[in-house]
Amino acid sequence: MSAKLLSPNALARSHAPILDFLAPRTLTSCTSSISRQRRRHQSTTPSPPTPDSAAASGLNPPTNAATPIHQLSEQQRAFLSSALRVNQTGELAAILIYSAQSPILTRSHPHLRPLMKHMYDQEAGHYKFFNEVISKHRIRPTAMTPLWTAAASFLGWSTAVLGREAAMACTEAVETEIGTHYNEQVRVLLDWAQKCGERGESLGPELEALVGQLRTIRDEELEHLDHAVENDAKEARPYELLTEGIRAGCRGAIWVSERV
Amino acid sequence: MPATTRIPSTLLGAVRASTSRVTPPIRQRCAYHSYDYAQPPPFPPAETKILSSAYAHVPNHGFTVDALKLGARDAGYLDASTNLFPRGVFDLINYHLVTQRLALKDSVQFPEEKDGKKLGVGSKVRSLTLARLRANEPVLHRWQEALAIMAQPTYIPPSLHELAALADEIWFLAGDQSVDTSWYTKRATLSTIYSTTEVFMTQDTSKNFV
Repeated sequence: MSAKLLSPNALARSHAPILDFLAPRTLTSCTSSISRQRRRHQSTTPSPPTPDSAAASGLNPPTNAATPIHQLSEQQRAFLSSALRVNQTGELAAILIYSAQSPILTRSHPHLRPLMKHMYDQEAGHYKFFNEVISKHRIRPTAMTPLWTAAASFLGWSTAVLGREAAMACTEAVETEIGTHYNEQVRVLLDWAQKCGERGESLGPELEALVGQLRTIRDEELEHLDHAVENDAKEARPYELLTEGIRAGCRGAIWVSERV
Repeated sequence: MPATTRIPSTLLGAVRASTSRVTPPIRQRCAYHSYDYAQPPPFPPAETKILSSAYAHVPNHGFTVDALKLGARDAGYLDASTNLFPRGVFDLINYHLVTQRLALKDSVQFPEEKDGKKLGVGSKVRSLTLARLRANEPVLHRWQEALAIMAQPTYIPPSLHELAALADEIWFLAGDQSVDTSWYTKRATLSTIYSTTEVFMTQDTSKNFV
């Protein structure tokens, strides 16, 4: 079973097709400065994210005369809504799992404190990012928040009580599912970008930035997966039951959150 | 025991395979809103022309087929063009609802500061809701009839959809950033308050709706 789990880097590489150049990693540094500029706007009209001056709020977005921006179809918008909704609720669940696991784990294994803190901080950053995306793009958040809050806290607490290996196995299972999920989203978006390119359109700065951010977040999640495996996740007993159960739970939660 | 461990693993394989399909898109109520391009107009061009001219006749003729026919004539179409609207008069009411909702964005401006304090989300919601209620004024004497039409069983779902969209629009323009259950409760309470106030407004005879 463990042989089937591809190494995270191979997973990342196999799902990141040639079109990586459309969303180079350097875009993420531009995105954060653009989003900071946007936050300074106080007007009610949501302004398009022009990298120009703040005075451009409310005007039509400047379209590059050479490549028109693709207008998203209903299906594409629906896909983006479900995907981002799931991402946001997933990050909330991750934060809750770590918050529940940390006190119990670090009491008996103090050397894990920096690692847990590092992973928590990264998840908190992701959560903040997706919260901003959801409220900015007017996506409905999931109605299952109270249920997922309870479930994630219970999951974190129970795996921590089972021991360090079980807690790491929980992280490993969750991050594997999340990694696959993000990969799928990145793949779909890059597929759209390719189809737009064939038609002579571009995806638009928003979506290109989103792809870049998703890739960064996916890489960080897979990094957590590596950390979990390094910390003897595979030594957990019963390994199969724990990981398969948690992965099935994650998939169920993703399925429900995409709809509700 | 090899047999018993093999069965669960094939089961697991089946479960994993069935859930790893790409999810088919589900119809969304609040879908992703892009800022990269201007939003397309809510109605197709011919319908927009007829409905906007018909809307001008509503104060005199009410939300009726007469208004639609006059509108079609004004827009230069045949009277029978009202067949473009399978839902008949409800489409005219819907036009009023949608255009007034979309107009909120441009019709309400907030000052940066008021009396030395930054405007809170609550007061913005209040201003936006009042603005939307005031936008009902030109057709208010016909609005009870419109509400009766909207209450017909076939039209209840789209009417509720529009009410929810209005509540979402108002909260969004007020700068709401909630991303949990309060997203739902805020919109539900605003929808209730708005609809009851609207009904009251149709019977309100005080000057300037004091």
